[in-house]
Amino acid sequence: MDRPVAYDKLAREERVVRMRARDVAEAKIEQGLPPFPDLRSRESIRARVHGIMVGEMQAMEGAGRSVYDFPDAPWEFTMDMARQVWDESRHLEIYLRLIEHLGGYPGEYPETTILWRCACAEDAAARVAGVNRGLEGLACDVFNQLVHIARKIGDPVLERSVDFVLADEITHVRMGSKWLTRLTEGDPERRRRAIEFQDTIDERFNLGGVRRDGDHEEVLISIATEARRLGGFTGEEIERLIKTTQRSQVY
Amino acid sequence: MTHSLEGHHSVEQSARLIRNYRYAAERMTRLLGGWLALTPEVSAKLLMGRHVWDNAQHADLFGRRLPELRAPAQVSEPSGPAFVAFMEALESPDTPELTVERLVGVYRVLKPHLLAVYEQHLGAANAVYEPPTCRILARCIEDERRHVAAGETVLGHLLAAGGLYDRAVAWQRRLEELLAAAGGVTGEGLPPVAPRSTVPEGEGSGEAREFIRLETAGSPWALPDDLRAAVQAFGDALVNGEAGALDRWIAPSARSGQAMDPALAGVRLSDHRVVAVARLGAKRIVKLRAGGPSASVTLALRWMPDPDGWRLESIEIARAHVASPA
Repeated sequence: MDRPVAYDKLAREERVVRMRARDVAEAKIEQGLPPFPDLRSRESIRARVHGIMVGEMQAMEGAGRSVYDFPDAPWEFTMDMARQVWDESRHLEIYLRLIEHLGGYPGEYPETTILWRCACAEDAAARVAGVNRGLEGLACDVFNQLVHIARKIGDPVLERSVDFVLADEITHVRMGSKWLTRLTEGDPERRRRAIEFQDTIDERFNLGGVRRDGDHEEVLISIATEARRLGGFTGEEIERLIKTTQRSQVY
Repeated sequence: MTHSLEGHHSVEQSARLIRNYRYAAERMTRLLGGWLALTPEVSAKLLMGRHVWDNAQHADLFGRRLPELRAPAQVSEPSGPAFVAFMEALESPDTPELTVERLVGVYRVLKPHLLAVYEQHLGAANAVYEPPTCRILARCIEDERRHVAAGETVLGHLLAAGGLYDRAVAWQRRLEELLAAAGGVTGEGLPPVAPRSTVPEGEGSGEAREFIRLETAGSPWALPDDLRAAVQAFGDALVNGEAGALDRWIAPSARSGQAMDPALAGVRLSDHRVVAVARLGAKRIVKLRAGGPSASVTLALRWMPDPDGWRLESIEIARAHVASPA
């Protein structure tokens, strides 16, 4: 098996339409739509949930690759990644069911592979920094907000199931914080590179100002400060993330 | 009558067997994890995703038992090069169209074998001084039974697609030969494997049926009637080779650069059907698969609403297969 798997080699059913994230964003902007679905209508919630379903599938595949790609990493690392595969497979199932619940179908929106591209670091420390802290941190932001919106619109199915997924994601961020430290012990250069990789992912997923610190109903993606703290982000790291979102250009 | 303290394995033999089991469980954990990204079918993805963690726990339990048997913890050891060769072969189907081979290798060959070996070991283990090993084996047996039942359910679903049965049988036979040549996971021979029909259906197969439902369920395509008619007319023109009729659907702004792949020129197509519909704001991306006696092509068609009806904004070949001349 190849290591790593290129983004265009991700295997998908025929019902999936794959596009570059940039092309999707451009096509939406061209039509006067926000590049990232807001949460103001049931359809936009469905579009957001569909995007999350795709992200969970790639997260499961990514954690699986971490099990396969790093046979020389400590066994406990493999155990954590294998546990994450199990969690992500349940998340995929949950979001497939939520799409049904919201009246949609898998494949209703194009799949982009931007998450996967971020998950292909060849160093295990960089990968956990990028995936478990960068991408799973983003998941905490998105799910925390979705739980809030679900509560507001009176959808207990969406609220309860996403809240359980959020709890798992915090655990995954915690795993990332733990392995970033352990794998780079005594190797400050490796740690610096891993954190730099995570920073590039954080910057990319600020989505040009879409992710910000703010009220759930005011911003498209609001930073989940408390969930991030539970996942092992320091106050300084959270502040730094908020500052970078202020630097990012707004669409 | 045998003495209650008679035993079948020495401490050292027991540790060696456990290292052999750990090798199989660890490698299976890793290859299932690696295959997830290479497997298109959601039912198979969910199946393997569920079992990665169980297999890792088996490897971990075996690895933790080793120091209690005067051996280093968390060490895997194949029984010999022939078993390594078997595992290499099992891992080898890694392209998207080989999901059936992947599942056959794990769920019809390796897991049933491990189940039989664990049952044999449990039956022979001493109930007075080997309960720590027995408890691990009992847990693994329970999981493997569930996994085999679930794997069989998903395989049944995939094999129903037709044309895959012979491939599955041939691959199973090939792997069974390699496994026999290795003397199984322990190198000591193959205990008889229970026929598939005797593996009880349980929690595993119920879960697998739900994976299949999630793969096959879904609302009808979100395709407005006028777009459905346009796609049908475009597909008919494609199959009939009417270039002029095809042009009718292409937006004037998109006419340049929409030439069909030269490899498909002259290819005879006989039917077409929609296989995917995605929303992109007001636009729709429709994947249309057209097939013929010697070729199939899947086009990604981006349609946009226009005052005169739906028009094609872009055409891309998502996938093409042209059979080589015999």
